[in-house]
Amino acid sequence: MVEILKVTNVSKHFGGLTAVNGVSLSINEGETVGLMGPNGAGKTTLVNMICGSLSVDSGKVEFMGKDITRLPPWKRCKLGICRTYQIPRPFPELTTLASVVVSALYGKDRPNRSFEDAMTEATHYLEFVGLFSKRNVLARDLTLFEMRGLELARALATEPKLIFVDEVMAGLNPVEAEKAVRLIERAKDQFGVTVLWIEHVMAVLMKAAERVIVLHYGEKIAEGRPQEVANNPMVIESYLGKS
Amino acid sequence: MELEVKRDRLVFRVGGGKWEWGIEPRYWRNPLIYVGILIVVPVVVYFVYPPLLSTVIDANLLAAIAIPLALMTIGTGRMNFGPQFYIGIGGYAAALLSIHFGLNPGLTLLAAPLAGLLFGFIMSPLSIIAGGLYYSLLTLLFPLLFLEVTFIFSDLFKGDTGLSGIAPLVSVGSFRLNLLIYAFISLAIMLIYLFIVDKVLRSRYAVQMAAINDDEEVANSIGVNVNKVKVISFTVAAGMISVIGWFYAHYYGAFSGQTYLPLSFMLKVFMVTMIGGRMQIYGCIVGGYFIAFLEMILIRTTGDMSPVLFPVILLILLLVLPEGLFGLYRKRHYREYLPTLHVRR
Repeated sequence: MVEILKVTNVSKHFGGLTAVNGVSLSINEGETVGLMGPNGAGKTTLVNMICGSLSVDSGKVEFMGKDITRLPPWKRCKLGICRTYQIPRPFPELTTLASVVVSALYGKDRPNRSFEDAMTEATHYLEFVGLFSKRNVLARDLTLFEMRGLELARALATEPKLIFVDEVMAGLNPVEAEKAVRLIERAKDQFGVTVLWIEHVMAVLMKAAERVIVLHYGEKIAEGRPQEVANNPMVIESYLGKS
Repeated sequence: MELEVKRDRLVFRVGGGKWEWGIEPRYWRNPLIYVGILIVVPVVVYFVYPPLLSTVIDANLLAAIAIPLALMTIGTGRMNFGPQFYIGIGGYAAALLSIHFGLNPGLTLLAAPLAGLLFGFIMSPLSIIAGGLYYSLLTLLFPLLFLEVTFIFSDLFKGDTGLSGIAPLVSVGSFRLNLLIYAFISLAIMLIYLFIVDKVLRSRYAVQMAAINDDEEVANSIGVNVNKVKVISFTVAAGMISVIGWFYAHYYGAFSGQTYLPLSFMLKVFMVTMIGGRMQIYGCIVGGYFIAFLEMILIRTTGDMSPVLFPVILLILLLVLPEGLFGLYRKRHYREYLPTLHVRR
């Protein structure tokens, strides 16, 4: 399998606080990798660094063999990295359709793409996440579940190779959560994206992920198949504490 | 000749001919009707009460400042409180070149926007490094600093008296006719700006501007080059506003920073955008005419009290009409810079 993302020894400090400390990981094409850890473990900080929202203090991020450590987020997006947010961040004043059109127009470079082409393509992604009937509704008027769907549609419309799904279960009821998980699995099948799934609900990753990476206090403490990781004493300790 | 009023149309019958004109509200939205009205207004004023022409010119210019300002606000996602800085740049560039080098208005028309573009480009990183209140305060400071500069370098800028002796833009002999031509030139500038900004706000570039307005970080993460959009919209809008400075300089034949750079002028422009409706380019025209005529009426009726009454009345209006005059009409629609296309199943 081709290595799509390689992160080597990245660290991030906020003043005296070390949020991420020398984390290395690699993701192969087509994989679903889970990134888990208790609250404050540095999962989102790590993703922010890979996506470019935060600068890297030290270390290196490579995507498809290219060093992207210093690239701005929009250039990384054009290369094929996109993400969803833990707390949905829709464009509140834009309609659902228009929000996805932005991605379809400015995501991956597609020469000669017209506004109308982008509109057509955006409807396709909206249909995929089940929001076609809400295409002319303002994004701020959607429910939480629909906002997560919109975020996924917006991310998929950039035609990413690697997509970061940040705590998709947060705030959803069990039925919605189940739907969300199925949606991401379908996205993976249909669009052939590689998924890095950030979650602190272990049960979800046990089912969905092929490989799990566990962070604790900004450091990688375990990596492996979900079952192995679940039985790892360090992981149990980080979640439940010492007995 | 026969006129028949039907439910949805007017029917004229003259001899054997028949003309119909739809009177359904959707036909009223034809912009040509309003452009026609705006063209007819100066002509009517010219024959009825010529002194009012200067108010019409003021209204057109206020709208012509507010329209690029709306583009700048939408493109950068921030409210610039110092658009008059670029009026000063354009005005002084035109005035100095005209006085010292004897350039005619045609040549200064090239120089003024170039100066505006240059200063706009130099200032544009502000929209990247500062946001929210800090950006507004910083932009508010620049015109005031420029005003100080005009006093400090009084030899050049004549900060206390203003520059005079600038070549007039139009000189056909009759003062009234001059005013009418100035009114049409100001209207032309305003309509050209409206056309350009309207085209931009209906294009694919508007969608990224809208995204930047709502959430810069997210826009950046889905491939929008936020900094580039901000710099371009800031610079272009600055260049457009500086042309108004050029017009002021050649219209009055004199240019003084004291008239345009202080906060009182900014208040007028700000009120045009607020009364018209925030970031509504068509609202800018409504706002421009409203403010210009309100100011004129107040000056004529209340005299010395008008500088006090003017802001008070506007504040009351802002409380009563938070969405602006045009906002009342737009209330049921989404932001106008976003085309709401309905896709058929």
